[in-house]
Formats: sequence, C-alpha cells, structure tokens
Amino acid sequence: MIVLEQVSKSYRSKDGLISAVAPTSLEVAEGEIFGIIGQSGAGKSTILRMMNLLEAPTTGSVIVNGRDLTKCSPQELRVARRSIGMIFQHFYLLQNRTAADNIAFPLEISGVPKKNREQRVKQCLEIVGLEDKASAYPAQLSGGQKQRVAIARALATEPKVLLCDEPTSALDPQTTGVILEFIRDINKRFGVTIVLVSHDMEVVKHICGRIAVMEHGSIVETLDLSGTGQKPTTEIAKLLLGDRREALKGGVAYV
Amino acid sequence: MFDNLLSLMPEIGLAIVQTGVMLFISMCCAVLFGIPLGVFLYFTGRGQIFERPVLFRITNYVVNTVRSLPFVILLVALIPLTRVMVGTTIGPVAAAVPLSIASTAYFARLVEQSLREVPKGVIEAALGMGATPLQITWKVLLAEARSGIVLGITLTTISLLSYSAMAGIVGGGGIGDLAIRFGYYRFQTDVMILTVILLIIFVQIIQFSGNFLARLLDKR
Repeated sequence: MIVLEQVSKSYRSKDGLISAVAPTSLEVAEGEIFGIIGQSGAGKSTILRMMNLLEAPTTGSVIVNGRDLTKCSPQELRVARRSIGMIFQHFYLLQNRTAADNIAFPLEISGVPKKNREQRVKQCLEIVGLEDKASAYPAQLSGGQKQRVAIARALATEPKVLLCDEPTSALDPQTTGVILEFIRDINKRFGVTIVLVSHDMEVVKHICGRIAVMEHGSIVETLDLSGTGQKPTTEIAKLLLGDRREALKGGVAYV
Repeated sequence: MFDNLLSLMPEIGLAIVQTGVMLFISMCCAVLFGIPLGVFLYFTGRGQIFERPVLFRITNYVVNTVRSLPFVILLVALIPLTRVMVGTTIGPVAAAVPLSIASTAYFARLVEQSLREVPKGVIEAALGMGATPLQITWKVLLAEARSGIVLGITLTTISLLSYSAMAGIVGGGGIGDLAIRFGYYRFQTDVMILTVILLIIFVQIIQFSGNFLARLLDKR
C-alpha cells in the first residue's frame, strides 16, 4: 500500500547540510495499522509527512496506492492526496466553519456537488458519533470532539490511507482511548490502512499491529507486536514486548 | 459664537460629501488591490509555501517606501500621475489617487499580518487534502483571517479620514480641509469645533461598526 524506497531528508542550514532522515525504506501493507514510535526529533513525523508528500524527500521515492508521488505533477499529486487522509495532534480544523462545513471542505475542493456533499457529511458525522454537533464551531467543541471532526473530515473523500500524526498527544488518557477506538473501528469497517506516529508506547501498543522504532533519523527496528519469538534489540521494543526487566537493565525506564 | 456656522452650512454639507467620495474611492482601491498584494506578500515571504525571496524583497521594499513617505509629499509627488489618470489635479476625485495608493500599501501590510495569524498547520492540512493555491487563498486564508481583515479595513478607513484632511493642498476639499481653511486660517473657532466633532463622530461610527462586524465574523 505504502512503499518508501531509500527516502532521506536533509536541510541546508548555516552549519551545512543537516540530515533529518537517513536513507530509509519502509513498507506498509494494505489494511494494517502501522505504528512509528521514537523520541521527539527522531524523524517520525517527517517520515509520516513524506507519505503524502507534505514533506518532499530529498532522495528516494514514495509509492502510495501503486503511484510514485515524487514523480507526480502538481495536479496529479492533488488528486492522489484525496485518497490519503491525515489527522494531526492539534486538529487543524477551520475555526470559522462549523463541524459539518469542515467535513464538507475536502469534498468542496474536489468538486463534489452540494447534494452529495451533504449526504456524505451526514454519514461521516455518524461514523464519529457527532450528529448533534453538526452546526457547532470548533471553538465550542472539546479536544476529543475536535479530533473526531478531524477524523470525519479525513474520511470524507473515502481515502484508502489515513495518516495520524500524534493524534492523541493533546488529549487526556480517557479521550485518547475513545479516539483510538474510532481509529481501530475505521480500520476494521472500511479497511483503511492506517499509519500512526506517536511517542507514547501505550498508544502504539494499544492499537498497532506492526511498528517501526526510529532513532536519530533512521528506522532501527521493525517488529510485529502480535507475533512471538522476536528478539527486540532497542529499549523501546523491549518495553513494548513486555520484557521490562531486560529493558531496565539498559537504564531507560520510559520514552 | 456660532454665527459662522449658519452661513457655512452648505459648505459643510459639501465637505461631508467630498470626504465621502475620497474615502469611498480609496477604500475600494485598497480592498481591490491591497488584498491581492497582502496575499502575495504572505505567500512569497520566508518559510511560506511559495517562498520567493527576490520577489518578496522587491515588493516589501516598494510597500515600505510608499508607507515611509509623509502623505503630503506623496500627494504632491503623484500630481503628474493624477493628471494622467483622472485628467485633472484638483478636486476630491484627484485627491483620491494618492489616497488610494497610500491606503493600498497600508492595507496590504495589515492583510499580510492577519494572514500570518492563520496557523500554518491549517494550510498544510488543506494542502494534504489536495487543495489548489487558489482554494487555499479563498477558502482557508481569507476565510480564516476574515475578522482581522475587517479590522484592517476599519483601521485603514480611519487613517484615510485623517490623511484626507491634507487633500486641501490639491483642492480636494473635505471636512479636514474645512477645519484648516476656516477654523485654523480664519480663526473661526466654531467651525473648528464643529468639524472636530464631526470627525470624532465619524471615527466612532467606523470603529464601532468595524468591531461589530469583526466580532460577528469571528468564530474562533
């Protein structure tokens, strides 16, 4: 579904070239919930943002849905992006639009007629259980409700992929659980492939099938959380697989 | 004490109309050209999605230059341009030419500032959904910054009202000109007081309606 081939990202700065992501390859299969975990500054968000080319890789290619996004024209890229939904830590809703109009936004910009739009908005509000908040403005909603509107907005164009950039990091633990359930539900009901970035191990453990551990701009380990007989090498992976004692020996108690 | 006022009534009426004409023409220009100019400054600025350092620097420099000239100087310096554009250099319509240019530069800056208040993440989210630059401008930037832009229009209108007092130099007329010619040069204190009261009322009305509209539009 998503293939990153030897992608890297470097920035030019006063002190020369700074590498944010070293050449890295990654494959996410259709229908899975894939997690990327690591400390802040490890490059997880950069990797995620490459998947819809919000961050253009310096080298390498990004293939989503069989299409190499790095070779797309601006118009082709816009069309491709309609089948890749994204949600963010800070929701990024349009503050001057109601919840319903926020969800209608991606449909509006891709030229869906008004009548079909209204129908789809209704469906999406139902999916996230916010039918009664259709005409509320984001300022009137709680954090969890805002994220649900953001999820509904991301689903409006019926994407095949949903990218989640720290989706629960601005939420309290209880709301986090609710949002993760919605994400899992969407994955199950609609078969949407999900890539989730988080620094929170509980979040990743709760929902992801496979994970990649990132450190200093590269993926140091990929593992299957459901499988057994794996030999985790990083502290994070050891903690994730429940091998607490061994991880603590390394002197890292949490991430 | 108020004996000058009665005989000046027609003049005062005319002055109000002249001020209205000057403000109307120059505010139309400010909105029509200032918004695109502000959007251009925003998009080409450092770290923005259409970053163009050279274009930005040139535009920035031009806007700063217009804004740094004292309005009286701009008024006189633009006389040849005014002649070409409206065929005359006197009257409120002629005065509207330099007023339009000054207000466009001023308002463009205010537009640029309000656009900067829109969180960059919101623009990225729209980009990620496949929005075109034009859609981002209309449906995201201007729609999200609309209350700030309305306050910018308010501020520009009030500055123009005070600029327009200098329009007398090119025979532009208006309330401020009346205050200078009768109230100041002829020591007609009553005229001075009346014009000042009129200007205070105008500023209050403009500011009040601007604030009201901005509050109505702001759902943040």
